[in-house]
Amino acid sequence: MRIDETHRKWFIGSLAALVVAAAVYVPYSRNAPEGANGGTVAGLIYGSVASAFMLFAGLLGARKKVPIWRVGRAQAWMRGHLWLGFLSFPLILFHSGFRFGVGLTKGLMWLFVVVFVSGIVGAVLQHFMPRLTTQRIPLETIYEQIGRVRSQLVAEAQTLIEEGSAALRGSVSRATEQQRAASASAGTIGGLTVASGLQVDEGASIQLQDFFRREMQPYIAHGGSKGMALADRNRSQAMFQQLRVLLPPNMHPSVDDLENICEEKRELDQQTQYHRILHAWLLVHIPASYALLLLGAVHAVMALRY
Amino acid sequence: MARRIRTTKNLAKRMDLQYFKQAHPLRSWRLWLSILVPVVAAGWFTAQRATSQKIYGSGPLSAAHAVLGKKCDVCHATTLGFFHAKVSDNACSKCHDAPAHHADKVAFTVGCGSCHIEHTGSPRLASTQDASCVQCHADLRTRSGNPQYVRAVKDFDKEHPEFAALRPGAHDPGQIKLNHYAHLKPNLAGPTGPVQMDCQDCHRVAAVGGAWPYAMPQVVSQHEAAAASTSADLKHSHSQDYMAPILYVNQCAGCHVKDLQFDRRFDQAAPHDKPDVVQAFLIQKYSDYFASHPRALAEAVAPERILPGKMKLPLPVPHNRQEWMDQQIMLADRLLFDKGCKLCHVMLEGQGADGKTTEGKAALPMVAKSSIPARWFLHAEFSHDSHRLLTCTACHNRTPESRQTADILLPGIASCRSCHEDSGAQHDAASGRCSECHSYHDWTKERPTKGKFTIQQLRAAK
Repeated sequence: MRIDETHRKWFIGSLAALVVAAAVYVPYSRNAPEGANGGTVAGLIYGSVASAFMLFAGLLGARKKVPIWRVGRAQAWMRGHLWLGFLSFPLILFHSGFRFGVGLTKGLMWLFVVVFVSGIVGAVLQHFMPRLTTQRIPLETIYEQIGRVRSQLVAEAQTLIEEGSAALRGSVSRATEQQRAASASAGTIGGLTVASGLQVDEGASIQLQDFFRREMQPYIAHGGSKGMALADRNRSQAMFQQLRVLLPPNMHPSVDDLENICEEKRELDQQTQYHRILHAWLLVHIPASYALLLLGAVHAVMALRY
Repeated sequence: MARRIRTTKNLAKRMDLQYFKQAHPLRSWRLWLSILVPVVAAGWFTAQRATSQKIYGSGPLSAAHAVLGKKCDVCHATTLGFFHAKVSDNACSKCHDAPAHHADKVAFTVGCGSCHIEHTGSPRLASTQDASCVQCHADLRTRSGNPQYVRAVKDFDKEHPEFAALRPGAHDPGQIKLNHYAHLKPNLAGPTGPVQMDCQDCHRVAAVGGAWPYAMPQVVSQHEAAAASTSADLKHSHSQDYMAPILYVNQCAGCHVKDLQFDRRFDQAAPHDKPDVVQAFLIQKYSDYFASHPRALAEAVAPERILPGKMKLPLPVPHNRQEWMDQQIMLADRLLFDKGCKLCHVMLEGQGADGKTTEGKAALPMVAKSSIPARWFLHAEFSHDSHRLLTCTACHNRTPESRQTADILLPGIASCRSCHEDSGAQHDAASGRCSECHSYHDWTKERPTKGKFTIQQLRAAK
């Protein structure tokens, strides 16, 4: 979620609440005989309000699970999650008198630090990454479908290779209409006669298939593929340029398609990387939040006892 | 020119419309971690709880209570059913049973825990925050409406009154004539020659042993022996904190014993004791002398030294033992009571033992009680030992020039503020907290408590 103009009210409200809480805290911490701590009336108020905010923030998960609940718009919940969750951290510091304590309270405070920091990281990422993804990945697809798209790209490339190989071997029957048309129209390009019809080149066919089997197919079929030659755009361009030299001009459109498939695969890899960056923080934030709510409830009950 | 064209239709055909129903690694990880992490957290809590209740602690115990770390229920006794286990004042008074501060006078008495904040790792729980004291003393209210003490004390730095002994109207209750200036002059006549006295020749904390340089060479009476070994006025004092009391036998006799010499015929000086004891001593001395000197009646009677006041000399010749005894004792009395004793003591002339004036026969004088204050701060604690790196005159700076007994040489609050500040160590200063000097409880009324734990019970993990 981008933090834009629509957050103005939340931002101002949260800032005002923080200022009020801090303004109350300063004289309270100075004058309380026992110092600021969770056991005082003010400390309990800070703790209760912060717990309520945390609980609300935690309910976002439930709100997402049941989108048909008529309990406000999802965006409003998200903004509330963001700003009330943010506010709960200083309130908890006011509650504890900026002490981490020992035992359960220490565990809780560190959990809260993890939740808070991961939340801040997430908010920053959610603000910047989507736009960055859109700018850098024009061929963006649904993240969960990347594997499926990769398989389709493999199949598409396979078809192109088979057609090209067939053409190179002279099997006109297996050449596509486009290839046949290209061969018919082949003539002078730049003052140089490059082709006069479908070529019969067994060696080029073998090399084309070899290129697909050794380089392209493994690269497209697997996610990431870091370290492979085609993962590098420059090396990829050089390789396809060599292919163009090797193959007759009428095959160049097919080479272009193959290169385009590799480019799409590179973008899918980059999208995967961005998606992981954009969502990995949730692997920390959400589990730690649940643990925090669970232990926080224990803390609240036991604090009443002791 | 690539022939691949990405149209929305083409792209849509690629998609599996049920993709969101399929498991995805990132979502799966999120789900499992969301289960696993709380379970691990709950497991950690359960494991900690199984070995100790410390998991519930809000902070480390104070140094004095650290030994109770495995025995939370010593203080957190369950009350009001099974759930409530907050620490009550009763739990504190099981071991620290002392009356509260002016409990009969102040408008309300606070609970132990509101001043002694446990679970903050305090090295000394008695060192309470100033706010604990200021909550009452900033505007002191008592049941009678008229507080005995200054009504508004808010801090040490600015809003603390001058010490009571130095406020206008206060006076030194001491009845010993002492001139500090004279005693600190060089070349004073000491027991064996000229001396230069130093503060510590007379003033030492009680715990410091060793001989006093100007003590009585030998103790001459039971009274003096008892006085030399006790600190009668040192109430609630710590031997390292307060000065040993000034006693004739310890600090004065070495030089001033000559002022109790009454007759050159006797080597022994009169005892430094009550007048009736001195009188009995004189009678005994002269009786013995008369018995052992048959020609005593024929000896010329003359005073030992120049006597104070006017006297017709020569004295009439005594005709019998009684007249001789009366003359000798009269001369000795005048030499001692009118001169020797008066050098330091305030004499209450013409009063009997009961303090009433006697008529007819001359009564023995009364010696005013010395009343040297053992402590000037009656409502505060002070430790000379903690200040031992300072010279005496660093604080008692008026002492070398003091000529009057009435001079109160107690350093003022300004002197203390030179080193002590409210913010203490933060400002590279000594602490100016209330608890540095003042104690809330009257520990002289502490009641004994009976222990109830064995070491095994106390240290057993729970």
